[in-house]
Amino acid sequence: MDSNTYFNQLLYRMEEVFYHELSDCASWKTELVGTDFIQAQDIRGANEDEIVMACIRNIKAAGLAEDIEYSITGRGILLKLKIKGCALMHKEVLLRNSGIKPYSCPITNMILDQLIEKLGYCTTYVAELAVPEEPVAGPCQVKAAIYATPEKIGAVSDWSQQ
Amino acid sequence: MEELLDIINSRKSIRRYKTDPVPDAMVDKILEAARWAPTGENYQPWRFIVVRDQETRNRIGDLARLGSGSRMTAWYCMGHMQERFAGIKDEAKRAEVLRFMYSGEVSEFAKQSPVVIAVIGTLREGSVDVPYDLSAAIENMLLEAHSLGLGGCWVHGPVASTRDARKFKEILGIPTGMGDYKVIAYVSIGWAAEMRKYPRPKKALDELVYWERFGNKERPHHG
Repeated sequence: MDSNTYFNQLLYRMEEVFYHELSDCASWKTELVGTDFIQAQDIRGANEDEIVMACIRNIKAAGLAEDIEYSITGRGILLKLKIKGCALMHKEVLLRNSGIKPYSCPITNMILDQLIEKLGYCTTYVAELAVPEEPVAGPCQVKAAIYATPEKIGAVSDWSQQ
Repeated sequence: MEELLDIINSRKSIRRYKTDPVPDAMVDKILEAARWAPTGENYQPWRFIVVRDQETRNRIGDLARLGSGSRMTAWYCMGHMQERFAGIKDEAKRAEVLRFMYSGEVSEFAKQSPVVIAVIGTLREGSVDVPYDLSAAIENMLLEAHSLGLGGCWVHGPVASTRDARKFKEILGIPTGMGDYKVIAYVSIGWAAEMRKYPRPKKALDELVYWERFGNKERPHHG
């Protein structure tokens, strides 16, 4: 067994029991998972595009994902991510096979963390984490709300149209 | 026990309060009720921070508004909130309810409730199942408040995420280490300024209860 498989199995068991304890609230509690890595990188940027792209460069360089695409729409609060070739895909598959919808994405957590830490965003929220049924079939797709200021709370739009 | 059941099934979560102060003697009774909640191994991990200061309550209210608003704005954008409130047929009323929710105003009421009691649990001393102990204490508090004629609400919103829980601890000077204190919620207390629909719809017992084994809805006869 390689170390990646081993660590994915550890994470899967941790997330399984955590979900069992907290149900859907588990995803709200795990927002710092992954942030130690990104905080150890020299992420710099003057705006959200520069920060997100810097995070993606560092994540890819470390081999944590093969590729990440992003867009920001929905009145500036919808951050969409497509994450391909994630090193943690195995734990998502194990989790789903146990009957639990994957709920914690460390790569998303990293990017949201740097928007908060480097640009002072007031808060963020992961609204959807869609893991493909077959990992080889496509990337994970994430929808996260990013709020630069408190006034952005309530800036609603129809994300299905974005 | 019938009287206790009356108290239990007439309690509602109150989110709008009058400005009238709550006497200390009533707060003491609510805390006393909490102290008698069941607790694993009699560890009694609960600690309570009683807050009347307006500025502190404002900060808690702002934190709660951001917490709920950030989630509910996203839920609205995903279409979930519209499904949840589809039962409100009046369009204008439904739109106002939805705005009240996704703006986060639904959770801002710590600013109005005269008393806020933060419920935290020590993780430093012997403890098992701290969240469950704290939850039992909160239920006792709400029932005692209701029995005194007061309104109350159990509010988890401002501590739901890890970052927000840390901010909440900082507001109240609670040690922020993850191995120090668990903050589970606060309870707002005050005189109700709203009349909630009573009773609110609850699932019937036959939807909730199995007999002898999971899934068995046939109640055995015991004479």
